Formats: sequence, structure tokens, C-alpha cells
Amino acid sequence: MAGRRAAIKAIDWAAFAERVPPNQKAMFNALKTRSDALSARLAALPEKPPTIDWAYYKATVAKAGMVDEFQKKFSALKVPEPVDTQSTKIDAQEQDAAKSSAEYVQASKARIAQYEQQLQKLRSMIPFEQMTFEDLHEAFPETKLDKEKYPFWPHKPIADL
Amino acid sequence: HTTRPVHTTQQCSAPLPPLPEKGGEVRHGLIPEEFFKFLYPKTGVTGPYMLGTGLLLYLLSKEIYVINHETVAAACILSVILYGVKKYGPAVAAFADKLNEEKVAQALAVKNEAIKNLETAIEQEKKEQWRVEGRSYLFDAKRNNIAMMLETNYRERLMMVYNEVKKRLDYQVAMQNLKRQKEQDHMIQWVEKNVVQSITPQQQKESVAKCILDLKALSKSAQAVA
Repeated sequence: MAGRRAAIKAIDWAAFAERVPPNQKAMFNALKTRSDALSARLAALPEKPPTIDWAYYKATVAKAGMVDEFQKKFSALKVPEPVDTQSTKIDAQEQDAAKSSAEYVQASKARIAQYEQQLQKLRSMIPFEQMTFEDLHEAFPETKLDKEKYPFWPHKPIADL
Repeated sequence: HTTRPVHTTQQCSAPLPPLPEKGGEVRHGLIPEEFFKFLYPKTGVTGPYMLGTGLLLYLLSKEIYVINHETVAAACILSVILYGVKKYGPAVAAFADKLNEEKVAQALAVKNEAIKNLETAIEQEKKEQWRVEGRSYLFDAKRNNIAMMLETNYRERLMMVYNEVKKRLDYQVAMQNLKRQKEQDHMIQWVEKNVVQSITPQQQKESVAKCILDLKALSKSAQAVA
């Protein structure tokens, strides 16, 4: 029966749990409990139902053609497999996730580059003992006193002293 | 006015060398060391002192410098100043240095904190990237769930079919058994009833007498054994 035994991959829940960020732990726990419930239900059911002992029934039941009729109909019966409606949705979700995660990774890399740049600047600074005030204003532009906006000493609002 | 040429050398944007920590060496607080070095080849160690003494005597004797009451005032003031500087100078210097040190230390702390924050931020970003890589787990789990549900459903259907058929067959068998048992019971009852009916009083007396004889025989054999 093609398509019936979709392989059930073994999931490493421990590794999965490591990768979950703390703010999504609740969702992860819900998923895990649901998964575990499903696998428990699956394990409780046997793979094939036990076979019916036709010979015994043929010998016991008095009505003549009944058992034969049952047997014929039973072996001719095909149980329909349940249809898979959700797999396409899952695949679509996966595509979306791949795209958004690629974007996120790119943005993250840009941020890392920025941080690296600032780190480089900070690390290659001359020590404070050798700096003049001009050097300080170059390295930390926020220390520069704005002489146009506040022309009178102390060149910054009194509250900032 | 002649115009001097300005900005003739090439501009070099190399950073300036660091400023020196201390000023030039001074002897007696007034005369730079270079003066003594300058005179040393010609006049040796005592040269500048001889020059100084001679110059002083010349100024005094020729009255180029006149001694009056201001000289006394100057001497008193200078001696007090010198005494104060010599005694409290180092303490004041240390205090001023400490103030400066604090400022520098604060700036250094800010810089170090900024470096640390940037490094932790980079770590966090890398960790988040690592987390994102694990998204395949989620979809594997979802697909697993779906497969499990389908499989469970299918097995449930098989079991249902089997159970229904078995129930019907068992029902037939049970019906048959029940009917047969009822027939048997009824027949036994009927036979018993008829037999009891057919026992005439004569037969009853004969059977009772026989029972008593049997009992006596048995009791005799029992007494013999005991």
C-alpha cells in the first residue's frame, strides 16, 4: 500500500529543546505532549487486527451460508486509507519559515558586522592618558560640547552637569 | 610686509607623539639643566655657580640692584612661600593627581563596559542564529504527528471492521448455544416431571424397603471395618 507507511523519523527531543528560545517554551511543551499522546495511542493499537477463525465459526454456526458469506465479504473488503490534507500546508509553512529565517540571519549578520566595527574602533583607541580633548571628541562624539546651540559656558543644559 | 611661505612641508596625518609627562629638568627650581650642561665642557661642575656668585656680587657692589626695605619684604615672602611649597607640595600634587586618575578611570570603565556589552551582543546574535538552524526539528515533529495520526486512524478502522464482524458471528454462536441450553433444560425438566409422576405408591414402598436393607448391609460392613 503506497503512501501508507510514511516514515516516522526519530526526533531528538533533547536537542530540539536546547534550540527553543525561552519565550517559546510553552508552545514547545504543548507540542511535545501532543506528540507523546499520539505516539502512545499509536503504540496501543496493534498493526494488524487478529485473524478471525473461520473454520471454528463454520463448524459452530448452524445457518448454512452465513459464515461463507461473511468470509467472502470480509476478505473482499478494502479499508480506505485516511487522506493526508495537512502535508501541503506543512510544506508551505516550511518554505515560509526558511525564507523568514534567511532574512533574520542576514539582518543578524549585519548587526554583528556593526558591532564588530564598533568593537574594532574601541579596541584600537589610544589610551586616555595620551589623549587630548580633541582626540576624546573624535573617539566619543557625544562628549563634544555644542558651542552653537549653547554659546555660553558650560555649553550644555544645566541639568546635564 | 614680506609674505612668508606657509604650509610648505607636506601634510602628514600621523598622530602626534604623546606629550611628555614631566617638564624639563630644573636645578634649584629656577635654572634649567641645559645651562649647566652647556657650561660643563668649558668650566666643569663649579662653573655656573661661580658665574652666579660673581654676577650677584657685581650687581650688589655696583649698586645695580639696590638693597632697600622691599628687599627685606621680598626675602620674608619668598622664604614663607618656599617653606609652604616644600612642606605641602607633594600632598597637593597627589590630591590633584588623584582627581585626574578618577576621571581617567571613569572613562576607562565606560569604555570597558561598552566593549563587554558589544561582545555579549555578538554572542547573543550568534546564539540566535544557531537556534534558527534548528527549525527543521519543528517540521519533522509536525510531519511525524501527521503520519502518526494517519496510521492510528487506519489501524482504528481495521480494528473496527474486525470487531464488528466478530461481534455478529459471536452473537450467532451465542444465540445458538442459548437456544440449545434452553431446550436441554426444558427436556430434562419434562423428563423428571414425567418420571416423578410415573412413580406409583407401590414402587415407592418397594424402593424404600430396598434402601433400608442396603443401609443395614452397609452399616454391618462399616462396623466390621471399624
